[in-house]
Amino acid sequence: MKNKVALFIGLIAVVLLLMAGCSSGDDENTIKVWTMNNSMEDFVTKYEEENDVSVEVQVIPWGEVKDKFLTAIASGEGPDVVQVGTTGVPEYADAGMFMDLSDYISEYENFNPDNFYEGAIGTTEYEGETIGVPFHVDTRVLFYRTDILADVGYPEGPKNWDEMVDASRQLAERGDDQYAIDLPRDDPQYPFMLAWQHGWNYNEDEGASNFEDPKFLEAMSKYETFYQEGLSQLEEGKELVQAFSDGSKPMFFSGPWDIKTIIDGAPEIEDQWDVRVMPEQDTNRSMIGGSHFGVFHNSEKVEQSLDFINWLADADTQLEWYKDVNELPANLEAWEDPILADDPKFSVFGEQLESTEVLPMITEYTEMSEELLNYMEEVYRGGADLESTLEDYRTKVTDILSE
Amino acid sequence: MEAKSKLEKFIVTLLLVLGGISVSLPFIWMILSSFKTEREVLQIPPTLFPQNPTFQNYLELFQSLNFDVYLRNTLIIVFFSMIGLLLNTMAGYGFGKFEFRGKEIWFMVVLVTMMLPGQITMIPTYLILNEMGLTNTMTGIVLPGLIVAFNIFLIRQFMVTVPDDLIEAARLDGAGEIYIFFKLIIPLAKPILSVQVILTFIASWNSFLWPLIIANDQRLYTLSVGLSLLQDQYATNYGLQMAGSAIMVIPILIIFMIFQKYLVEGFNVSGIK
Amino acid sequence: MTRWKYKLMPLFFIGPAVLLLMVFSFAPIFLSLGISFTDLTLIGLADWSKINFIGIENFVKLFKDKVFLESIFNTFFYVLIGVPLAVSSSLVIALLLSMVGKWLSSTFRLIFYMPSVTNIVAIAVVWGFLYNQQYGLFNYLLSLINIQSIPWLEDPLVAKFSLIILAIWKSNGVSMLIFLAALQSIPKVYYEAADIDGANRWQKFFKITLPSMSFATFFVTVTTVIGWLQFFEEPFVMTDGGPLNGTNSMALYIYQRGFEYNDFGYAAAASFVLFIIVIVATIVQFRFRKKDQTL
Repeated sequence: MKNKVALFIGLIAVVLLLMAGCSSGDDENTIKVWTMNNSMEDFVTKYEEENDVSVEVQVIPWGEVKDKFLTAIASGEGPDVVQVGTTGVPEYADAGMFMDLSDYISEYENFNPDNFYEGAIGTTEYEGETIGVPFHVDTRVLFYRTDILADVGYPEGPKNWDEMVDASRQLAERGDDQYAIDLPRDDPQYPFMLAWQHGWNYNEDEGASNFEDPKFLEAMSKYETFYQEGLSQLEEGKELVQAFSDGSKPMFFSGPWDIKTIIDGAPEIEDQWDVRVMPEQDTNRSMIGGSHFGVFHNSEKVEQSLDFINWLADADTQLEWYKDVNELPANLEAWEDPILADDPKFSVFGEQLESTEVLPMITEYTEMSEELLNYMEEVYRGGADLESTLEDYRTKVTDILSE
Repeated sequence: MEAKSKLEKFIVTLLLVLGGISVSLPFIWMILSSFKTEREVLQIPPTLFPQNPTFQNYLELFQSLNFDVYLRNTLIIVFFSMIGLLLNTMAGYGFGKFEFRGKEIWFMVVLVTMMLPGQITMIPTYLILNEMGLTNTMTGIVLPGLIVAFNIFLIRQFMVTVPDDLIEAARLDGAGEIYIFFKLIIPLAKPILSVQVILTFIASWNSFLWPLIIANDQRLYTLSVGLSLLQDQYATNYGLQMAGSAIMVIPILIIFMIFQKYLVEGFNVSGIK
Repeated sequence: MTRWKYKLMPLFFIGPAVLLLMVFSFAPIFLSLGISFTDLTLIGLADWSKINFIGIENFVKLFKDKVFLESIFNTFFYVLIGVPLAVSSSLVIALLLSMVGKWLSSTFRLIFYMPSVTNIVAIAVVWGFLYNQQYGLFNYLLSLINIQSIPWLEDPLVAKFSLIILAIWKSNGVSMLIFLAALQSIPKVYYEAADIDGANRWQKFFKITLPSMSFATFFVTVTTVIGWLQFFEEPFVMTDGGPLNGTNSMALYIYQRGFEYNDFGYAAAASFVLFIIVIVATIVQFRFRKKDQTL
């Protein structure tokens, strides 16, 4: 018995020693950075060597960013520099998570808003403050099978929504289990993109009455059409790459990451697919996504942090990052490099990025867009009437905005 | 209750085999998928055996993970959870075999902590830890999970079935309370404790949320957190995930096999009554 | 032993556990209760002076919230169908395991426990395939016997049953282990005595096995009810509450409100409604047991 107690105490002592060994350095030359990308740790070594600064990177898994940010906001215990996805900006900025960088923009050469895509800059601004500097961007384009679309008369893909509907009807008629497109049913951004392309726009001052616009109704009725006529599959069918490869779903909207997915996943259709900018009706606007780097509101190392962000914002840095992990640079100059400019597929993203719209920069956007998906599901799956459902949706939006 | 006739044995075995196959398929699929290419993992209908077996997923796993650091942290948490298990066992025994004032109320307090979904208490718990200055420490990661109401409840349920005479007899023989607990109760409780060890090990081995929330330093991350770092925002790398889970599951299976033999060690009180 | 020492003993045994629970589990519950009477959102989290006390407004709103009411209905549906199936099937597995030889028993124990340690993503992928309406294995098997394809996850009602099957499959392992441990704890002498009295197997089962396992059964039932009232993971990974909100559970709804929309006050209020339901369900079960069990 005695021996066991001694052993037990010994073990605890060992563990406590191990734990004590974990305390981290916290000197003048260390900045803490929160990021979502596992490659960042190795990527910053170049900066560390050049500037004699130690950058302590903490990678946070994408799915848990919210939990981590919430607790940081609640306790005021955060890093110095933080990466934030564009869709999270309004919520976190509203809670005062970021330091306002407006006064520093002129001080650092790489902070100049003209260096970046307009849409990317749009998502760094919240209520007159600048919360960060754009790092990477992404947007959605149309992926399509050139051979199959050629069969129905659109070898370059449908240019506008009329062509899209026409092509889709022909494609769906190819037989059972043949569809035209795989619409992103769970993507809350998609209905908004569709509405922008039909000339609709969200005006922050108008609130729920934005959705009274006949252009919005037109866009949503097109949304409904794709399910009603079986142009897009209602059920969970085949996996995306498989359906694209066997031609049963020869089109889909997606972002830059799916280029690699298709190249790796479907080598047998190597020369039979392409990407093109969004179909146009009134506009061909797509969304702008990506991420920024900002300074946590109570960081004591503002200067070092800004210097690091200045490095991240540089065209060369962002180009290197693209080569490493395939995330698209927000810096316009980086796009002049042949590696992007001459890439037949990625250059399409560059083109699309010129025509993007900023999602409503309001904290209620998440709920508003998720609810729109739910209400639209009532229509295409539950068989509810479109117009009266949109009326209900407006009531819901009024409710959400008044909270 | 052994089966009697041959026919009975056959039917029982058949039922178990059929059930066993259907129950273990996803697990087998998970293991086999870790040797598949990314594309094959998601193919419909899925393949059971990899067409072009590859070790790529495992290679990538070992190259991009700080295994030593994550493993050490995970083991520390496992170690403390076992101390927690001891405390849980003591509490279960206390509730099962002692009479004292307010017992019902205290037991309700224990049960109540099982009843609110974890997400909703996450922020308050974090704030309490923060007030105590325990963020970014191993202590802060370990403490909130040390006591598990479910375990106390289970042990108490078992303790109630231990005959009072047994304990009284030991007391009459002059044994101290602590001696009784360690030398009489714990050996008696082997079947239920082996279940507990398995459950506690799994929970702490997989611990994810607190190490992530409390740590402001990657050096405190655990294996599960490390694995989830390999996940992209959009492109789910299924093959890699399956390889990660396959690796994580091995120690669990070992612990299971070691402790399950105690499961069948009967409750030997026949000599007493 | 002296009297005071005997009085202190329970404190020694339960003290450490109860103290830790009070600080890290019980106190947060009270904090959450407080939050449920406020309009706490992200901004209030950052700056506590911006939190407003709004009384029972959250609760009033909840009971007018169609989605919340649907999620209560779904949750009751899960519990009423799922709990009896889950408890009885794990009991049957444990009994079957106790009827075969040592080697078979220990092998199958491991096999039946496997779903509990299978990665949730793997589960979602495999079951997603099994339930795929067009290409899934289930519908393929049904087509062999000329049964029309079933919309496993595409119909609000059917999807509820599909998730129940999945959840039982996944959670049976733990209950099975507890039943097994309880079965092993039944003194052999009871059966020997019954044999002498010439009891048949069913008599032994109903007069010895079942009553001796009532403690374990009670435990498994109480915890299973609590678990199913907090049904979360299955709809979260398989359907995200859809189609048409048909599989949304209270716990998932709370998660959506709190962690997707940052509406912490409202989510806390919803979780208290769930909390009350769980407490009532548990107390009712304890009352029913009261006759042959002291606390």
